[in-house]
Amino acid sequence: MKTFNPDAMGEKLLRRFAGGTSRRGILARLGLALVAAPVFPVLPVSRASAAKPDRSPEAKTTFARNAQSKDDTKCDYWRYCAIDGSLCSCCGGGLNRCPPGAEHSPVSWVGTCINPDDGRAYLIAYRDCCGKAYCNKCDCDGTDRETQLYVPQLNNDVIWCFGTTSMEYHCSTAVLVGTA
Amino acid sequence: MMKVQGKSPLSARARYTAAAVSALALLGSVPAAHAADPLQPDPELEAVTLSAPKPSWVFVERGFVVPGNSIYDTETGKMLGMVEASTLSDLSIDPAGKAYYVSESIWTKGWRGTRQDMITVYDSATLKLKTEIAIPGRILIGGRKFNFVIADEGKTAYVYNLDPASSVNVVDLAKGKFVKKIELPGCASLMPVTGVGFSALCSDGSLATVKTAAAKPEITRSAPFFSATNDPIFDNFGYDGAKQTAVFLTYTGQVYTAKLGATPTISEPFSIQAAAGVSPADTKPLDVHWYPGARQGLAYHLGTGHAFVLMHTGEYWTHKESGTELWELDVAAKKVVKRIPLEDPASAVAVTQEPNAKLILSGESGTLHILDAKTFEEKFKLEKSAGGVLRTLEP
Repeated sequence: MKTFNPDAMGEKLLRRFAGGTSRRGILARLGLALVAAPVFPVLPVSRASAAKPDRSPEAKTTFARNAQSKDDTKCDYWRYCAIDGSLCSCCGGGLNRCPPGAEHSPVSWVGTCINPDDGRAYLIAYRDCCGKAYCNKCDCDGTDRETQLYVPQLNNDVIWCFGTTSMEYHCSTAVLVGTA
Repeated sequence: MMKVQGKSPLSARARYTAAAVSALALLGSVPAAHAADPLQPDPELEAVTLSAPKPSWVFVERGFVVPGNSIYDTETGKMLGMVEASTLSDLSIDPAGKAYYVSESIWTKGWRGTRQDMITVYDSATLKLKTEIAIPGRILIGGRKFNFVIADEGKTAYVYNLDPASSVNVVDLAKGKFVKKIELPGCASLMPVTGVGFSALCSDGSLATVKTAAAKPEITRSAPFFSATNDPIFDNFGYDGAKQTAVFLTYTGQVYTAKLGATPTISEPFSIQAAAGVSPADTKPLDVHWYPGARQGLAYHLGTGHAFVLMHTGEYWTHKESGTELWELDVAAKKVVKRIPLEDPASAVAVTQEPNAKLILSGESGTLHILDAKTFEEKFKLEKSAGGVLRTLEP
């Protein structure tokens, strides 16, 4: 009866490989690969850079086309593309800092916003400042790529004061996390 | 003998003087009579009570900052009362008409201290507190119809929770007790499914259905049918509990109908814009179309199967913009039968479930507009009365 013999199979494979190759042949093929190497990047293969998004004005949302990078107390400041609520910049805090006495939520919803100065997309964490009454100044509602409750991390209506002493919503900051 | 009227012995001047004195005496006697009979103090009266909720009533969530749900009768335009509620709470109406349920969160020291989540039960006649049912948590958001829903003819409540993991708290309203928590990762917006439990929309573009009766709840998902990130379904959708159907609308205006059940079926979508004879919308920047939008942009009249949708013109990702037109969509016929321009752009729309239905619109100006849903004639214009989500009685 014929049984499974891995040793015999391995020997058979190696003998077939040795019979069809030579040391000179291997060297020739390695040499060819070294010579051809500079050509690889231009071959039509999938590369990370090929997925670079289109940042032309035609590909930008209304918000991104009209965004500015000078005044963070205005709703059209570029980081606010998906913010909702009072801007902490108008409430005694800053773009990424809470007003006095308020507590920064450690978690947040996020947005992907385009900086008009360098054309790059950045991940923005909208971290609520909590523990004080609603500031109710500079109320903005950016809706770029903002979705519904079943994708909560992209929904800007949720009160994101999780992990803070108080869940009372005061205002929202826009913390730059990195390039998107 | 003929009676001869004799002349008065007084002179003319004297007669005038006497008349004037008599008149003054008479005038003087008026305040004298009132002083003898003053207004009585008001008796101590009980507060006004209400009938069971009527199909013509609308419950207006007063908004993000101001708590409470104001009740208006769309027949008279009068405010009838207010269901007490804390901010970011959710209201549901007992189908038997005996109670109002408020899913809410409060803290022992205002916004500080120990958090307490509960369903607060109010008597529908007196609007007084009946009882509280403690629950282990709920989402803080407000402005959504489907985070607190009542099922099983009023016996069960489902409360959506985000902490920030996603789950549903099941409450036995008949016994006044929390039953269990069901983890529901990646899904939200609850639709009661008769004899099964509930369904919910999910981030993978599917509809999850949860059989709640088993000790370990069974969650099944439909095949994905929409893009939750590129063309999401608005989470204030149309729901018909009696027929067990739902009408879903996406940001671009695709309309799906779902037949709910243990294994739900979802229709092929159609474009609301195409149903109106205009170009279907897409997600491309710089393409200006009619888009659905607003906070509560769809109202569904169960009797006629017509949806009323708030529409605006603009580019994609403008889904929170108030509607400048209201489109009446015959869902089964896939036809927009009427387009109504709105002078006061509306952030929310609701419809009463009556044969002579009324539309209720929350205007950006803060005015609540009540319209006849057949003629679109404005019946009432109630200033400073608009707010958040609008709720009407549903059979």
